[in-house]
Amino acid sequence: MNSLTMPNELESKSIYIIREVYWEYRDNLAILWSMGKDSTTLLHLTRKAFLGCLPIPVVHIDTGFKFKEIYDFRDKYAKKWNLKLIVARNDDAIKDKMSTEKGRFDCCNALKTEALRKAIAKLGFKALLVGIRRDEHSIRAKERYFSLRNDEFKWDYQNQPLEVWSEYYKTKQDGDTHLRIHPLLHWQEIDIWRYIKNEKIPVVSLYFSRNGKRYRSIGCQCCCEPVESTADNVNKIIKEIQFTNISERSGRSQDKEKEYMMQKLRSLGYM
Amino acid sequence: MKVVVVGAVDSGKSTLIGRLLYESGSLHHGVTKDVENSCRRLGRDFEFAYLLDSFEEERRDQLTIDTTQVCCKIRNGKKFIFIDAPGHRVLIKNMLCGASYADIAILVMDILNPLEEQTKLHALILKFLGIQSIILVLNKIDKASFKESAFLESKKSTDAFFQRIGLEPEYCLPVSAKEGCNLMDRGKEMPWYQGISLLEALNMYSGRLPDTHFCFSTQDIYSIGGQTIAVGPIISGRITKGDTVNILPSNRKSKIKIIRSFNKNKSKAAVPESVGLVLDNMESISRGCIISNSDIPKIAEEIKSKVFCLTSLNEGQKIKLRCLNQEVSGCVKKIKRIWESYGKQYDTETAKKTDAYFAEVSITSDKPLITEQFTGSNSLGRFVIEKDNEICAVGIIC
Repeated sequence: MNSLTMPNELESKSIYIIREVYWEYRDNLAILWSMGKDSTTLLHLTRKAFLGCLPIPVVHIDTGFKFKEIYDFRDKYAKKWNLKLIVARNDDAIKDKMSTEKGRFDCCNALKTEALRKAIAKLGFKALLVGIRRDEHSIRAKERYFSLRNDEFKWDYQNQPLEVWSEYYKTKQDGDTHLRIHPLLHWQEIDIWRYIKNEKIPVVSLYFSRNGKRYRSIGCQCCCEPVESTADNVNKIIKEIQFTNISERSGRSQDKEKEYMMQKLRSLGYM
Repeated sequence: MKVVVVGAVDSGKSTLIGRLLYESGSLHHGVTKDVENSCRRLGRDFEFAYLLDSFEEERRDQLTIDTTQVCCKIRNGKKFIFIDAPGHRVLIKNMLCGASYADIAILVMDILNPLEEQTKLHALILKFLGIQSIILVLNKIDKASFKESAFLESKKSTDAFFQRIGLEPEYCLPVSAKEGCNLMDRGKEMPWYQGISLLEALNMYSGRLPDTHFCFSTQDIYSIGGQTIAVGPIISGRITKGDTVNILPSNRKSKIKIIRSFNKNKSKAAVPESVGLVLDNMESISRGCIISNSDIPKIAEEIKSKVFCLTSLNEGQKIKLRCLNQEVSGCVKKIKRIWESYGKQYDTETAKKTDAYFAEVSITSDKPLITEQFTGSNSLGRFVIEKDNEICAVGIIC
């Protein structure tokens, strides 16, 4: 596959999925945006799916612990792209001084999963576009494009609905359930960077090397470690990923605190 | 290229993929470490299968539950996406999900017991899905002391089976996934073997879709800046601005006025692009309409098909049928023949008690449906049946 045909195939499939879920859910659909490279790519694809006019709100789950660069990026592009931005927070947990000191598992659960649950309940969303990819983590590799969360917000990973060809699980559910839609599931880290290059998508400056280090995956300041790198532009990042032996989320502490951490977080509704 | 690895439970599918990832150097440091830790805690040697079996339950019970996908990079720069699929019978739904994404299939068999019931069922499912590139792997030759006689004997019985069901696998290879033998290269253990390795076999495929008639499936109608636009994927062929096309099911001729993608107009587009089209006669276009330049897509109200059911279907039963962006209500008119693996025919009473079987059925639909005869990968030649809100059967048009 050459570099011209490849992104096109990835892109087409993602756009197809985005349009499918919009057909089913219209006003009850939102996109989660963490300002990371993947969700920014997803946002770009979604804008593309709607030929430039984004008809759905963009939700940022804010833990209060993100890097300053991330907040600046959010505010700049929310304005530039004319986004209907909703910032969702678990204010109760923030008031109770929730932090990683109380354990990373509980912290992620309260400030991300719980914040998302509250936002969904308040705003009535039935489907969410989420920018996870299979090659990020072996637990995410088990996901479906259309993935159901039950009324307790849980992922029933042992009994996922059948998806064949491009026929997905789309049935509207009663009660408090929602669907997670994963249009980037089939993309790999290097595909994302090649696409960012071809489409000239802006990304947070933390991804680029400063003083011999850069972030490969970004989130909360307290749970992200930079990796050794001299890649200070997109071309160099693409080259670096081609030859690296270090996994993408190696700098993300919440995946590793204990065994099967990601499975446990995700089964409760983590992204 | 997407490669699904199927076969009976415990034939060594996850181990095979895990070993290929390891041998090709596709693994990241953290991933191997996680598996090492997990194995140490469970008191086991390094298990290549755990590179794919990431759930706690899968590692504890040494059984793949759900399908997964991983990327394998090889030295010549080619990339293969491997799809692991569970072999256990009750997990057939997850196997089907994984297999439906694939271009190539590797069917893994235990060389000492190649033709288990589940192997036969998986072979039939591959045939049913139209996956034409099939590689047979006779695994665990280490258990037969790498002997040629074991390979030849096993190959003889599998050849006979595949001939009977009308499948022609391209390659049949002796392999030891556990020992990494004949995966990347032939290896020293089998000096008698002069054939190609698994990786070499995979390298033989190029995966280009044949150029065929133009077909666009309407997903939705957007109104942007006062313009009405039909959006959807091009499912086959190519189109140029100004081309004359046919809108189905209304059967009206029209002309392509504008091809839109994001913020610019294009003069041409081709499969698999997702585009926006503006035509004459926009009022006759809605979701599910097919826009084509050929008379291959046909309008039908009664469909003759073969289906693979995960729960039983009965004559007279009301169903929902989906084919791309078309959705119709229908009724199972007649079930002609029911079978499981080859030679084992069922009557309807037995089928009711069985969890997965093939059947020849005719279905009537309340609205005209646009279909094509199934040729192996054409989206209009296949459909799914929904019952109680879940996909319960997949079908192909005869």
